[in-house]
Amino acid sequence: MMGAIYFTFYAGVAFYAVAAIVAAAYLRRQEDRLLKAAYGIALAGAVLILVTFALRITAWERLPLTNVTDSLNLFVLLSTIVMVIVAKQERMGSLLSFYLPPVALIALLNATVAHIYLRDEPRELQGLFLTVHVGLAFLAYALFFVASVTSVAYVFQANRLKHRQTLGLFQKLPSLEQLDRILFRLIKIGYPLFAITLILGFIWAYVESELLGPNWWMAPKIIMALLMATFYSAAFHGRRLGRLRGPKLAYFVFIGFGVLLVAHLILGLSQLNNYNFWGMGE
Amino acid sequence: MSVVVVGLNHRTGPVELRERLHFPPEAARNALQRLRKQLDGVGAVILSTCNRVELYASYATEPLELCAELRKFLSEWHGIPETEFRDHLYEYTEDEAVGHLFRVACSLDSMVVGENQVLGQVHDAYLLAQAEQSTDKIISALFQKAFSVSKSVRTHTAISEGKVSIGSVAVDLAVSIFMNLEGKTVMIVGSGKMGELTLKTLVSKGAGNLLMVNRSVEKAQELADMHGGEAIALDVMEDHLHRADIVVASTGAPGYILRPDHFHHALKQRAQQPMFVIDIAVPRNVDPAVNDLDNVYVYDVDDLQQVAEQNKEARRQEIDRCIEIVDEGVAQFMHWVHTLVAEPTIVEMSQELNTIRERELAKTLSSMPDLTDKQREEIEYMSKRIVNTILQRPMSQLKREMGHHDPHTVLHLVKRLFGLKETP
Repeated sequence: MMGAIYFTFYAGVAFYAVAAIVAAAYLRRQEDRLLKAAYGIALAGAVLILVTFALRITAWERLPLTNVTDSLNLFVLLSTIVMVIVAKQERMGSLLSFYLPPVALIALLNATVAHIYLRDEPRELQGLFLTVHVGLAFLAYALFFVASVTSVAYVFQANRLKHRQTLGLFQKLPSLEQLDRILFRLIKIGYPLFAITLILGFIWAYVESELLGPNWWMAPKIIMALLMATFYSAAFHGRRLGRLRGPKLAYFVFIGFGVLLVAHLILGLSQLNNYNFWGMGE
Repeated sequence: MSVVVVGLNHRTGPVELRERLHFPPEAARNALQRLRKQLDGVGAVILSTCNRVELYASYATEPLELCAELRKFLSEWHGIPETEFRDHLYEYTEDEAVGHLFRVACSLDSMVVGENQVLGQVHDAYLLAQAEQSTDKIISALFQKAFSVSKSVRTHTAISEGKVSIGSVAVDLAVSIFMNLEGKTVMIVGSGKMGELTLKTLVSKGAGNLLMVNRSVEKAQELADMHGGEAIALDVMEDHLHRADIVVASTGAPGYILRPDHFHHALKQRAQQPMFVIDIAVPRNVDPAVNDLDNVYVYDVDDLQQVAEQNKEARRQEIDRCIEIVDEGVAQFMHWVHTLVAEPTIVEMSQELNTIRERELAKTLSSMPDLTDKQREEIEYMSKRIVNTILQRPMSQLKREMGHHDPHTVLHLVKRLFGLKETP
């Protein structure tokens, strides 16, 4: 079983890497066949990652959401789904060529740095409550991730227009209006979802406070999650009230995702993500 | 069979001469009919636009003779002595003529390289010739190939990308800010000619609501009535600025009439939605510091010109790649033409060898009267196979060599080898 898991995982990541290269080639050459190829290869990669996920469930008989590799696999899968939906809704396939390289980068990071966790048995998720909490959290992260890539595209497009650079790699970017619409739509869904996730998480932590220790709310992961929620709350409400728009909104969304990266990737890889970080618990 | 083009364009002839040699569509129709009468069986297309007058023809004669016939025809049709336009004409034959048409169809020979209009004009000229039944096999294939080469050039290069006129650059930039211009509000400040032209371009792309601002309310009303917008006096412009998605400034005011504080206020009122400001006035009407504000994008006339020049330069940089595609198309087409030219000789070779075969077969069979019908059939079948096997290699080699050496020399040599009659 482990052989099959390794094979599908690395093959899936390799597909994503190739899809990203083809997508980058599309940005340069603007040939539709390249975009179609990138899309097809990425979908093949997503199917392989999905198979990896399914094999992990079969092998351990529980949802594999509790280590870095599995979490990132779920994140890559959900991000792929979100970016495909956005590209289809906007009728703009070329958006995939901007979204695919960062998704592939996360997949590659998973294969090169975090793959060590692939052999680990996932810790059991305690009940439906926690499973929903973790699942929703990753869906919100995927939405924020695609939003943050969109925000980078927005900043590039705005700078290009401000500085009269009409040629070059980014001339095929969507209009500012379209990017702003995508950005707001993503945080409009992502922020409430993340808020629900946090509430569910707090309820679970409160119930399980004996297991997590009395200072669970001071754990770096929790502080980072609150910080991220603050950023996205400001972005969501600022945009909704018409106070925050354009490059400033883009920076907010991007920094918010930076906090997410720090919270999960760095803390996860450096083993600082336990709930008893300050050593004041049991 | 010769393929030639005789003509003049914006580089070789002045507009006065191009006007005199121009063929309006109806005249082109009649001219093609007359040309067919003068040169029986000629394949011809007349391409006449504001920048060029060209006659493409294929005919069973020497290329230079065909060029002379076309010059004479031009002179007689327009009643202009040849001496008046001879020096302005270019004449290309065979692969050079083919290459010229491909470059024209790909818009590499146009005044504005990469423009799309010329392909439609070439297409119309070909359809007209087809309707007049003045196209032959070679001319038809030539123009079909020109269309496919043009499609390939436009697909695989960026020769048609980026706008090169100020008005279309402004529209392109507006589309980079707003997804499309439908329903967008345009405020025109002043009544300059350039402003009006830009307004027309924006309206043609869907911009709907117009706010006409002028120092005099009467003049503003006059403009609003003319273009179907709302009149606003200059002194209350600030109160309406937030309504505008696009602002076009073209007044004769000596200083800045739109400053950062105006836009700061407008942006607040419009919830920071982006604004595109086109300042085509000289001296400028909009303080350049406005461009430092988030969500406002200011372009003055020099900026627009600079973008147009950048796009022109980008198109120029694509020319080498386009020429490669054109050259490949020319080589493919000329190979096809040479194969076509070799066909009669191939038929003759086959006929000659089959005549020998039939003669020798008859002799052999007459000396063997005891053979059964089945045996006779087998011997005849064998003789055919021998001839076909002998012919196979020279035929394919001939087609290949036609593309690499002078076709006339190759055909002459083959005819001598096989003892075929030389055609004059």
